[in-house]
Amino acid sequence: MHKVPSASSLGPGGLDLTQSFFTPIQNTAPPSSTKGHTKISVIGVGNVGMAIAQTILTQDLADELALVDAVKDKLRGEMLDLQHAAAFLPLTKILSSTDYTVTAGSDLCIVTAGARQNPGESRLNLLQRNKLSGFPSNRVIGSGTNLDSSRFRFLIADHLDVNAQDVQAYIVGEHGDSSVALWSSISVGGVPVVSYLEKQQIPCEKETLERIHKEVVGSAYEVIRLKGYTSWAIGYSAANLAFSILRNQRKIHPVTVLANGFYGIGPGAGGGEVFLSLPALLGRGGALAVTNVHMTEEEAQRLRDSAKTLLELQRQLEI
Amino acid sequence: MHKVTSTSSLGPGGLDLTQSFFKPIQNTAPPSPTKRHTKISVIGVGNVGMAIAQTILTQDLADELALVDAVKDKLRGEMLDLQHAAAFLPRTQILSSTDYSVTAGSDLCIVTAGARQNPGESRLNLLQRNVGLFKKIIPPLAQLSPDAILLIVSNPVDVLTYVAWKLSGFPSNRVIGSGTNLDSSRFRFLIADHLDVNAQDVQAYIVGEHGDSSVALWSSISVGGVPILSFLEKQQISCEKETLERIHKEVVGSAYEVISLKGYTSWAIGYSVANLAFSILRNQRKIHPVTVMANGFHGIEAAGEGGEVFLSLPALLGRGGALAVTNVHMTEEEVQRLRDSAKTLLELQRQLEV
Repeated sequence: MHKVPSASSLGPGGLDLTQSFFTPIQNTAPPSSTKGHTKISVIGVGNVGMAIAQTILTQDLADELALVDAVKDKLRGEMLDLQHAAAFLPLTKILSSTDYTVTAGSDLCIVTAGARQNPGESRLNLLQRNKLSGFPSNRVIGSGTNLDSSRFRFLIADHLDVNAQDVQAYIVGEHGDSSVALWSSISVGGVPVVSYLEKQQIPCEKETLERIHKEVVGSAYEVIRLKGYTSWAIGYSAANLAFSILRNQRKIHPVTVLANGFYGIGPGAGGGEVFLSLPALLGRGGALAVTNVHMTEEEAQRLRDSAKTLLELQRQLEI
Repeated sequence: MHKVTSTSSLGPGGLDLTQSFFKPIQNTAPPSPTKRHTKISVIGVGNVGMAIAQTILTQDLADELALVDAVKDKLRGEMLDLQHAAAFLPRTQILSSTDYSVTAGSDLCIVTAGARQNPGESRLNLLQRNVGLFKKIIPPLAQLSPDAILLIVSNPVDVLTYVAWKLSGFPSNRVIGSGTNLDSSRFRFLIADHLDVNAQDVQAYIVGEHGDSSVALWSSISVGGVPILSFLEKQQISCEKETLERIHKEVVGSAYEVISLKGYTSWAIGYSVANLAFSILRNQRKIHPVTVMANGFHGIEAAGEGGEVFLSLPALLGRGGALAVTNVHMTEEEVQRLRDSAKTLLELQRQLEV
């Protein structure tokens, strides 16, 4: 039986109960090969990584959770703090190491490590300080605009005093300042809002829509300005994606996927893959499909512009 | 309908959908008076307060969650960060204010606010500063939620639970401290990890004063219902007193270890308090080692004039708060250590101006 290294006062040299407390059942067969053991690794134990790890633990999404970071003490402290809650949670093996071997055999690896955004720093600037590498495209997904869309849905739901889960609304494209709000995607209890407004002859000016979108983008910066960083919402957002993937929920989430070939996004001069957020069907195999939501020509153009900007940025990186 | 303050671009002056999106049902009766709306207030949005708030939210323990702190920006930032997760959670009203009026009508008030110990500061001095803080916190809480249960997490939790009880004027069953609930959880984790068994199958109590002089009730330890000490005796496995002391020291030390490694503890206390909140609000009648008024139990003298003392004992928790103290078996030595704890705490309390 694989065990977390135990305390020195319980065990050989101390009080060792294991020799006699349980009598093993003889001639047992090993567990059947149907892989029932779910392992998630979280890389980076800063505020975001730990909010994600803790939410995953509370929502009982994994049998095993591995934490990795470069800072040894902080890493061990965070692991212990989670382990100490054992009496209040379903049994989950929690491991940590600065060595990546601890992540072996993971079903899902969540990477949060990276330089933090300084107040006022745009996400594009932030990219200069981080580097990423990848896998086959359906198995590399970014949290993308899942959270932006959640904030969008929250704003609308709060205004209407209705449950945010009854509000469908996608923000796609680049996660950040130049994301694209898909106005025609908004529906409440299944009622598409934009065509509803038209039928009711309620005017809705473009400037107003722009302001709402700006507010969604700005709300992230607002939280950073107020408390120094964001953590809880991205924690829930990532745990939500983890659930859809590991439990094969086949739910549609706006997440960063390989965008070439969708909505007229092409490779551009000299080729080049580009990743940005699109509404994607997620399941155990990762990103399974991209949904064909309605986009206006302007929205599609803005997506293509996003793609161009990202490609340009990627060209300047050394990968 | 009470609503979270909405944004400016959605609403009057911006895009206002409310006028026509929903058509109200006419002649509705208001909700029946059977109170099902659960409100929890968390005072203090530091690492501990927010871990508690977030766990409560994830475990869907409340319909309404109010956050209070003195630092306006941090408070608003934390509230927004929770609200932004609305799409991933059951609908919970999340409010915040530096003004205690936001806590009105709470079923449970969780107090995590507290001064941190300055280097070289005496415990008494720290305590006196926290008493000053509690004088600002507890009276408005009690006044605005006269039927609430107060759950004190701030340290030193035992004395501060006593202080909260004095300042609130509440009956003692409605003022509880998180006490040794977490110490006991760490104790159970150590034993469970050693035996490679689920920690929930390990019963083990640490009681008394939360901290260095807590009392481990060795005879209380059972695994899957099997009492460990008598098991060891039957198996003729020797268990030296020093070994037991070392295990206990390790439990106490594990809190300091986390603090030395990551600067503070948060997640475990978050789960611990959410666990207490669930037992209380859902009337689970579960036994938890928490800070309660200890006079008259386990050999601790009944209070005479101002001799009330609060420390952790295994208590039955339900919707009415602390309902009973269980008569777990304690050795004469353990009882004596409890009494000593009580004496120390009483001495400390006498020096406070409450």
